[in-house]
Amino acid sequence: MGSEQPTVLVVEDEPPLIEIYARWLEGEYEVRTAQNGSEALEQIDDEVDVALLDRLMPGMSGDEVLAEIRERAPGCRVAMVTAVEPDFDIIRMGFDDYLTKPVEKEMLLETVERLLARSNYEGLEQELYSLVSKRSALQSAKSAQEISNSEEYAELEARIEELQADIDAAMPEMESGEFVAMVRDIESGAGEDVEPPEGDVSDPFAEDSDAAEDDGDRDADGEGSASTEGEDR
Amino acid sequence: MSYRTTTLGDGTVAFDRGTSLLVSGSSMDVQEHIYDLLSEAGEADETTILISTDRGAPEVVRSLRERDAFDAGRVGFIDCTGREGPEEVAGAPVRRLGSPGDLTGMSLEFAKLVDRFDDAGAGDRIRVGLASISTLLMYTDVRTAFRFLHVFTSRIRSGGLFGIFAMDPGMHDQQTVNTIRAVFDCEAGIADDGDVDLRGSGFVTE
Repeated sequence: MGSEQPTVLVVEDEPPLIEIYARWLEGEYEVRTAQNGSEALEQIDDEVDVALLDRLMPGMSGDEVLAEIRERAPGCRVAMVTAVEPDFDIIRMGFDDYLTKPVEKEMLLETVERLLARSNYEGLEQELYSLVSKRSALQSAKSAQEISNSEEYAELEARIEELQADIDAAMPEMESGEFVAMVRDIESGAGEDVEPPEGDVSDPFAEDSDAAEDDGDRDADGEGSASTEGEDR
Repeated sequence: MSYRTTTLGDGTVAFDRGTSLLVSGSSMDVQEHIYDLLSEAGEADETTILISTDRGAPEVVRSLRERDAFDAGRVGFIDCTGREGPEEVAGAPVRRLGSPGDLTGMSLEFAKLVDRFDDAGAGDRIRVGLASISTLLMYTDVRTAFRFLHVFTSRIRSGGLFGIFAMDPGMHDQQTVNTIRAVFDCEAGIADDGDVDLRGSGFVTE
């Protein structure tokens, strides 16, 4: 997974805009483009990590395309591009985020980056649940004495702590829209089949020699995400 | 600036911004403690959002008034009891949900209330109460509840807010209690005789 660039699909009916967005994104991402709904559906598959979708395209509406993307690429994050600032209700409708026109470069790159960070966070957070519930089972089944002597338990504790630090680092600033979208995903059970970023969820005690390498990846992804506040105003 | 309280034991406890506290004990006791903790928001120029699964909005207002701590402009309620009613009670905004299991609705209404306080310049000093997790667990499985609470407390941390969550451990098996407990920075255990056992991180006792 590591070296491969994430894929972004840009769906926009104005060719000059497609060109600009693609140019901004090309440095860091694999870019696909589509001018309308049916072209978008030709381009979508589970390789696509993020889709930017103009809500009011001629022919097929953004909402229809969204439903189709959810069907074919459940792990894909979709940001709506719109002329009017929407409220949180668009999140309930199934979009993950939005961009208001005119879209500026920094805003576009930041949105894509945050959507990718969110996928990462959700994967880690599912792993956290499985480790915590395993620890709880041990806590309920064993005596305090047994727990304090258990090497297995100590390792589990260490993994949980490590994971919590990773989770905090994955999304240090969570905004309201992101919060609502994440709860929506949890409630709908979406993303539960999405593979977590690291291999061995089921066995927390397996050798994890790749941990350091993974941290490196995340740091690399995190660059440029420093200023997220104040963007709203 | 921290969130201070004198309702947990003898001294003053100051919670760091972004901390989430679990208040555990018998249902009645923890409810009272949640209201005590929320009622101190007014003194410190903070605002309050209460997500209530058991008491309806009028009852919530009464509970705050009993503590002399109701200020309509500084509170917002999310009433998940499923009862019908107006969108305002005693001048305070009330969002209504059909059931405590509507987690997306809960997060959405929470986001809107935070926005509203933000616009008023008070969006970063909010005491957020949820009473109670025990009721939530009747509507969702442990996994969903854990993940919801984890994301919720992350949002509270990121916003510099103070989360106050109630749970009655007597209503759940030990494994469930231990799992849910792991989400929080700290826990105030309320014993039957009223003694408070505060442990974890994110606070200092003065």
